[in-house]
Amino acid sequence: MNVIPCSIKTLKGLYDISGVEVGQHLYWQIGALQIHAQVLITSWVVIAILLGSVIIAVRNPQTIPTGGQNFFEYVLEFIRDLSKAQIGEEYGPWVPFIGTMFLFIFVSNWSGALLPWKIVQLPHGELAAPTNDINTTVALALPTSVAYFYAGLTKKGLGYFRKYIQPTPILLPINILEDFTKPLSLSFRLFGNILADELVVVVLVSLVPSLVPIPVMFLGLFTSGIQALIFATLAAAYIGESMEGHH
Amino acid sequence: MAPTLMASSTSKPLLSTPTPNLPPPRSIPIMAKAIPSPARSLLKSLSISPRTIALGAAASLAAAPLPALAAEIEKAALFDFNLTLPAIALEFLLLMVALDKIYFTPLGKFMDERDAAIRAQLGDVKDTSEEVKQLEEQAAAIMKAARAEISAALNKMKKETTAELELKLAEGRKKVEQELAEALELLEKQREETIKALDSQIAALSDEIVKKVLPTV
Repeated sequence: MNVIPCSIKTLKGLYDISGVEVGQHLYWQIGALQIHAQVLITSWVVIAILLGSVIIAVRNPQTIPTGGQNFFEYVLEFIRDLSKAQIGEEYGPWVPFIGTMFLFIFVSNWSGALLPWKIVQLPHGELAAPTNDINTTVALALPTSVAYFYAGLTKKGLGYFRKYIQPTPILLPINILEDFTKPLSLSFRLFGNILADELVVVVLVSLVPSLVPIPVMFLGLFTSGIQALIFATLAAAYIGESMEGHH
Repeated sequence: MAPTLMASSTSKPLLSTPTPNLPPPRSIPIMAKAIPSPARSLLKSLSISPRTIALGAAASLAAAPLPALAAEIEKAALFDFNLTLPAIALEFLLLMVALDKIYFTPLGKFMDERDAAIRAQLGDVKDTSEEVKQLEEQAAAIMKAARAEISAALNKMKKETTAELELKLAEGRKKVEQELAEALELLEKQREETIKALDSQIAALSDEIVKKVLPTV
């Protein structure tokens, strides 16, 4: 019975003290449709960071790599290893997909923690990591679904759908359900983790101004990296799973 | 209504604990009215209406009607799907193409080529080592041939020497045998001569013995 006042009070309290603007968006109207401007802006910044650093580092590759080139070669090797481990020998065409997925999510997540977005005052809502909007994570999860369907269909043709009745037709509903749970879990895991992460940091900062939030911030960086890795690894695993032969 | 914890930095209520002496269920509508509307709209935005909470919390609250809320703060839309989704998806695909063009493909190709070049150089090194091996084999073959030649020459020489030696031996033996035969012949002759001489002596001696034994004849 005391649940209502308690939860509402708590929520309101948290809401008031932190000034956390959960689910507040700056809307742009495009035709009849609305768009979350703050997500779009931060995603542009993330894309600009990615493209800019890549262009600067890899513009003129040297035989003996140094600095930026070395770093990006390491990243590429890492992505190749990841794809190879999950997809197998035919990983080549999937490196751009997995790599972009990893880099975009990773830079997005870290931008939320490292870039001082809050300096920029928006008329409404606030800038944050693009991945703390459900639209972004779903927009990343759906192409993953499309990708693994595409991978399976091009590899095995219509025989791909045989996997739904394997090992036994009884599992058909579960196998079909899996196609829905995969993007759902992918997007919600990323969204939840990043949103919770930023909320925790913001709330802690407003509660205890000085040193206490710092470990949580580092934890946030760690979580962000892990989430990017998980997303990319799972995407690759799904693709590999739909490409592997069923006997 | 409830004792509130105050944050040191702000004067806003931080956490509130429920009062121990709660009003009876009948007063719930009034209480619901007392709920600050911002919090309510926040709840609504989380797609949890106070009503749902009430339902979940206690069945007796299920019927409690809630008044319309004033929009003091805008509805917080956490699960607000709109054009952002396709926009980000499109951005992602464009980013993928761009990164593929300027990063993944060229740098990957560059790295593969460098790998191939290093491998080729390593292969070259292996080739020279093969050459060395060939030379070594050649040297071994030459050594073998030389050894064979030497041993053949040695054998030949040995054979020749043995033949010569045998010849000499045979010659020496022949000579010795000849000498032996000559010596034996000489010995025989001497013996015969001695025997002849002895025969004549024996005749004389026997004549003497006969004379001495028979003086009166």
